[in-house]
Amino acid sequence: MSFQKRLFAQEFVVLAEMHTPKGVNITRLVNDARRIKGRVDAVVIPDMDNGIMRMSALAGGALMLQHGVEPIIHLYARDRNRMALQGDALAAHVMGISNLLVTHSEGMDQSDHREAKEVFDIDELELVQALNGLNQGKDMGGFELDGTPDFTVGCTIGSFGDEAALDQELIAAQAKVEAGARFIISPPVFDLEKFQSFMAKVKPLSVPVIPTVFLIKSLAIAQYIAASEPEAGISNELIRRIRKSSDRELEGIKIAGETLAGVREMAQGVMLQTLGWEHKLVDILDAAGM
Amino acid sequence: MITAERKPLEEILAYIKPFKRILLLGCNECVTVCAAGGRKEVGVLASGIQMSMLKNGTSIEIREHTLERQCDPEYVEELLPMIDSADAVLSMACGCGVQQLATRFKDKPVFPAVNTKFMGGSDRHGVWTERCQGCGDCLLGLTGGICPIAKCAKQLMNGPCGGSARGVCEIGEDVDCAWHLIWERLKALDLTEQYLEIMPAKDWRPGGGSGPRKIIREDLAE
Repeated sequence: MSFQKRLFAQEFVVLAEMHTPKGVNITRLVNDARRIKGRVDAVVIPDMDNGIMRMSALAGGALMLQHGVEPIIHLYARDRNRMALQGDALAAHVMGISNLLVTHSEGMDQSDHREAKEVFDIDELELVQALNGLNQGKDMGGFELDGTPDFTVGCTIGSFGDEAALDQELIAAQAKVEAGARFIISPPVFDLEKFQSFMAKVKPLSVPVIPTVFLIKSLAIAQYIAASEPEAGISNELIRRIRKSSDRELEGIKIAGETLAGVREMAQGVMLQTLGWEHKLVDILDAAGM
Repeated sequence: MITAERKPLEEILAYIKPFKRILLLGCNECVTVCAAGGRKEVGVLASGIQMSMLKNGTSIEIREHTLERQCDPEYVEELLPMIDSADAVLSMACGCGVQQLATRFKDKPVFPAVNTKFMGGSDRHGVWTERCQGCGDCLLGLTGGICPIAKCAKQLMNGPCGGSARGVCEIGEDVDCAWHLIWERLKALDLTEQYLEIMPAKDWRPGGGSGPRKIIREDLAE
């Protein structure tokens, strides 16, 4: 069953994020896709997120299709104006990619092309509206399309530093849902209790909210997130657990697996994020018994 | 200077509709020079508002005042004796002035009465054109004193595009090709070797993009 059908049938969906290469060597991406095939419902392909120049998500999505994996590709307004965004969305559809995730885009100040000019011709909400417009056969200029696409558009709730920031994120997400977003990817879960109260808050959005399960690859990463994003919910206890472990990599996988199993009881899906350790995705699913 | 044009009266009236007492503020700097928001324009707008209200059978109290510089906190303090007797402020300064007022008088609605347009200069009486986009890394020393960022529609850095013909830009008969102007000027100055130098992809960071830009002069900052 396709991602779209599972989503609308209220079935649990498992997504995994995979990055395109910085270059044309697609071996790793293809191997990771083959390894995960049949274990996830779709693979999410970011498009130069964190401002790192890579092969575009469009090609990543096409590669997934070639290897029998359904893709969801990121789309955002930092690098393209409304013309390019709509044109690439149509191109994606023609190539068989109909799942688009409109995401927040990191600024260029921390990127590997810091001198670049950011575009931001439109914002995330306007992009969701534009894609919904394409679904209805019209472009942003009001002109009719020759052949109407059928995108499943998603959006994100970004990381939030406090309750006030979450409230703003929820207002923004509500607007995107009203504009046509059919699912929402939410920030990484490190604390299931906190996640439960988060899920209660997002319930009125009335579309599936799919949390991220993030693979903690090292003690340093856990400490960094705990210090820089206290609201993320990495507890001292969790850090102690990783520190005491004789095999910290394995401990990270176990933690991700436990989180995934816990999230399964509370949400209609999950997105696994391993940031370069996509070869470990299967291990996380095994750890969760999925 | 920063140029501006007055907003349509209907838009201004919509802003001030809920209020009974308005403080209408001009600025003696750029918007006076470009005849958009100086003392004279304050008077004209006040009359326009009053006449329109009269026609609609309503009324409003307008106090007119023009500051030396609305973007300067020192001059904004002048408003202290009059701000409390206004329900809202209508500013005819550029966006910098409007924001200065909104920052200073947090409990007072502040509305813009002009649209801030660009940094430019006067070509002739009543005509202003864009000259600078504040890119933060001035190239005029390499381009004969003509800016390809402000004056080239595509902001090209290494000569004209294919849309330039007979010195005119493809976007309109009345738009000079910036790179034609640069070439002619460098030729006249016997500096054509500057034209042949290839400029690298521009670093746009000094022009902004990572939030509002700021200048801190340690020798002046208190």
